Amino acid sequence: MKQPLRRILLILMTLMLSIIPQTVIAQTESLPPDLAMADDSLQEKLREVSRTLRCAVCQSETIWESNATLAIQMRDIVMERLIAGESPDEIRAYFVSRYGDYIVFKPRFRGLNLLLWGGPFILLSIGGFMLFRNLRKWTRPSPKADIGADDEDLRPIDEKQRKRIEEELRSLR
Amino acid sequence: MKSISAWHIFLLLGLFGLFFIFYQGLWGDPSALPPVIIKEPAPDFSAPELYEKENIVLSEHLGKVVVLNFWASWCQECKLEHKFLLALNKHYEDNTDFVMYGVNYQDEDRLAKAYLKQYGNNFEHVVDLKGKISIDYGVYGVPETFVIDKKGVIRHKHIGPIMGDVYSDIIKTKIDPLLAEGATSS
Amino acid sequence: MTVELGHFAVVIALVLSVVGISTPMIGLKSRNGTWVVVGRRAVIAAFVMLTIGMATLFYAYLTEDYTVKYVAATSNSKLPIFYKIAGLWGGHEGSLLLWAWILSLYCMLAVIIHWKSQPVVMPYLIMIESIILCGFLLLILFLSNPFERNFPAPLDGRDLNPLLQDPAMVVHPPLLYVGYVGLSIPFAFAMAALFSGRLGEEWIKATQRWTVFSWMALTLGIGMGGFWAYYELGWGGYWGWDPVENAAFMPWLVTTAFLHSTMVQEKRKMFKVWNLFLSILAFSLSLIGMFLVRSGVLSSVHSFAADPGRGIFILGFLVFMLLLSFGTLILRSGKLRSTVKLESMVSRESIFLVNNLFFLVALATVFVGTLYPLLMEVLELQKVSVGAPYYNAVFMPVALGLIFLMGVGPYIPWRKSTPTNIKKLFVRPLLIAVGALPLIYIFGVQKPYALAGLSVVIFVLSMITMDFNKVATFWAKRQKVNRGQGLVEAYKSNPRRISGIIIHLGVIILVIGVIFSSMYQAEKILIMKPGEEVTIKSFRFRMASLYSVEGINWGGKEALFDVYEGGEIIAQMNPQKRFYTVSQTPTTETAIYQLRMGHLFVTIPEVAPDGTWARVRILHNPLVTWVWAGGVLMAIGAFMNILRKTRRKRSPASESTGMLPEVTQKVAADVTAGAVQQTR
Repeated sequence: MKQPLRRILLILMTLMLSIIPQTVIAQTESLPPDLAMADDSLQEKLREVSRTLRCAVCQSETIWESNATLAIQMRDIVMERLIAGESPDEIRAYFVSRYGDYIVFKPRFRGLNLLLWGGPFILLSIGGFMLFRNLRKWTRPSPKADIGADDEDLRPIDEKQRKRIEEELRSLR
Repeated sequence: MKSISAWHIFLLLGLFGLFFIFYQGLWGDPSALPPVIIKEPAPDFSAPELYEKENIVLSEHLGKVVVLNFWASWCQECKLEHKFLLALNKHYEDNTDFVMYGVNYQDEDRLAKAYLKQYGNNFEHVVDLKGKISIDYGVYGVPETFVIDKKGVIRHKHIGPIMGDVYSDIIKTKIDPLLAEGATSS
Repeated sequence: MTVELGHFAVVIALVLSVVGISTPMIGLKSRNGTWVVVGRRAVIAAFVMLTIGMATLFYAYLTEDYTVKYVAATSNSKLPIFYKIAGLWGGHEGSLLLWAWILSLYCMLAVIIHWKSQPVVMPYLIMIESIILCGFLLLILFLSNPFERNFPAPLDGRDLNPLLQDPAMVVHPPLLYVGYVGLSIPFAFAMAALFSGRLGEEWIKATQRWTVFSWMALTLGIGMGGFWAYYELGWGGYWGWDPVENAAFMPWLVTTAFLHSTMVQEKRKMFKVWNLFLSILAFSLSLIGMFLVRSGVLSSVHSFAADPGRGIFILGFLVFMLLLSFGTLILRSGKLRSTVKLESMVSRESIFLVNNLFFLVALATVFVGTLYPLLMEVLELQKVSVGAPYYNAVFMPVALGLIFLMGVGPYIPWRKSTPTNIKKLFVRPLLIAVGALPLIYIFGVQKPYALAGLSVVIFVLSMITMDFNKVATFWAKRQKVNRGQGLVEAYKSNPRRISGIIIHLGVIILVIGVIFSSMYQAEKILIMKPGEEVTIKSFRFRMASLYSVEGINWGGKEALFDVYEGGEIIAQMNPQKRFYTVSQTPTTETAIYQLRMGHLFVTIPEVAPDGTWARVRILHNPLVTWVWAGGVLMAIGAFMNILRKTRRKRSPASESTGMLPEVTQKVAADVTAGAVQQTR
């Protein structure tokens, strides 16, 4: 019996919280909603959400990092929605519905994006497999003797060539 | 001697793929974003008018074609389009089905009023105090203009100044057809 | 008219670069060495000409000659002299000229240093470097001319971007360019090896120090950039996975892979094609990076100013260079089916291969992440942004694998290892790492990512300590000195190994810094009025006052914070919000207080116009100084590697350099003369 009551109280309180600052702002005009009013867990959430949202007018900065007006306003909206009880994913979905996928720094797991997320791991496993196979091949003892690879660089030169080369070398100096 | 291995082909394919992407990328505009909220219901707002301090409520204009123009006094391109905006509003002066609002974006009242005094004014302006309206409409720069139909659905979004050809185009192909539409679903 | 002199000098440098391309070609064809000597003179003269060009621009900056368009765009009479000089690389045109100047400096030095020892390479080196130089000079002279005049001249300059008015930013671009451009030396040597068919270890040995030097410059440059971002951009982070940062990071990754895999070739004469590929890839990536940064394909709203002609030219140049280099690799490496022969799956050789695999996957992660938005745009799909969440999820596991390998690779013996010596080597450190886990957990580190990272770090650290201990004891006994001097003796006897391990140690320190400063960072953004307080961890911040301040070329607001810990005041911090009057741009100046190797970090990104409140960002970044300490240690390690004395005996290197110098020279000359014929 106690649980639901406490819940209702909490909801009421958050509702009041979300209403009061807004109305206050509408009157005083210049003061943004005081983020300090929020508790630490909300700050933590704000940080988590803000760090995945792109500041649309900046050069690849998140709205958490950026100090552009739009970023600050977007951050305030994130905070208001958090106070209203929305989840981080709901807030991201809201911004995507307004600005498109561009606004989130975390491409969604779907379509071609899956290749982006999985690609490196696929590459690692394919590469690892091929490397393993080749290593096995290379470590198998082969009948052919180990040929010094440098040999091909040391083509024999005859006396005539040698003389010509020496001359050229002298001319280089 | 010159045997072609698989890695030769992969390398060349990769290189040419890369060149293709780079070349195509040169012609794209990395800052141009595809408009997202077209054909979506226009987000409602209720915000004070610049002079009256009385709230303008968008949903009260359901049944009319609404043009929303986001602007700011610090925006250079807005100055270019301003006289066209005035002309646009004048053009539909007698049409009761048409209403146009400016949305003042990231601005100060004092500067906005001075701007309107200098460049003239014949329509009302909403003060977007906290950027809430702009963000609701997915605005990321000014000027941007939205055309909302009688059912309250965003039908058109224009990024950049409305002037010259864009101006006549927006009247003929965007606003006029919408005015001709009925307010109820056909 | 001095600037015209500079302009003219650069035009001459362009002509000289064409001379540098053609004379070695003629020399190779006609088998006449004199032509190569002409090429050498052209290279030196081009450097002198470019130096004149740079000097005249500097002169224009110092004399405040705002008739020069570029000077007017990046300087102002009120600027301190230090930043007037840095204005040269404060914009696109000047930084290109700096790039070209560094390139010609490198080329000249390489030609002078290797003239006697690498006669075969010289014609190709001169040719390749001149081709690159020629490309850059064409771009400078026709599409981004810093010498252009501007009439009527503005009364004063438009000022250097205030974000760049910072000591770190003055050295950051030149350092990065030194790194990027330095990669052209191993690249040119690799191309020379391909053209001449001399595909042995010679080119790798000759360029090893050049590569390490470039790597060091890149490391320092990237670190400096991160440091600058940290306090100048004011968001408390040093790495944002921004395309521009990635453009510098990608060549770094490949160069690191290259430095590792060349060791296999030096010791065991294997993976020749692979090394050629890596050295070409490293330089290609620095060119690709330049394209990405300067063509405007990737940047967001700032890009409309980019000139499409410029982008097309850079792309054309890029296509030419990449096709030339990779094409040569494909055509000329066919005969190089080098016999790979390994004794065991578990050997240093195979670990190096695994290391390279991980580095390339890391590269692929960054490369794909950087280009993916562009790909989506080209395919006309929904536009996306790829940012930190992606890299944290995908890059970090790969990086962790690389760090783990740092504890394995250097300690596994070459050729073959037996189960017993593996056990002897790794059981103890592994036990230490696993055993330390509950301890660090109790100590307060409880996030799984941090735990995984730290246990790997502890494993590597105990490997390094055990190894250093063993080596030091060995040398101490042998030379009868104490163990500290024993370590010095060890460095003397095997400098490359010891300096390499020092670099690894630097990486470990950096990683510890990154783990703590990113995962245990505490941060708040809030509105504060004077008199208000906020608590972060054990620190209490009180905004004592908020007032106006003035600088030479800026005005702004400053806040005074009293910081308390446990009731006692420990610091006073003054963050600022500045407004640069000439360029009309605001900046946020960070206040940093160093404490227990971490930072308290305060900025005021927004101040109310009436000065009654400020938006405050407060951070505690634990161990953040370790990030830069690690970076510096990495650079020190690289420097120790470069400074080492070349050993003449007991190393496999002597097989080709020390052995019968006349024979090698003769072979070299033979190839010089014969290579052209061979290619037909």
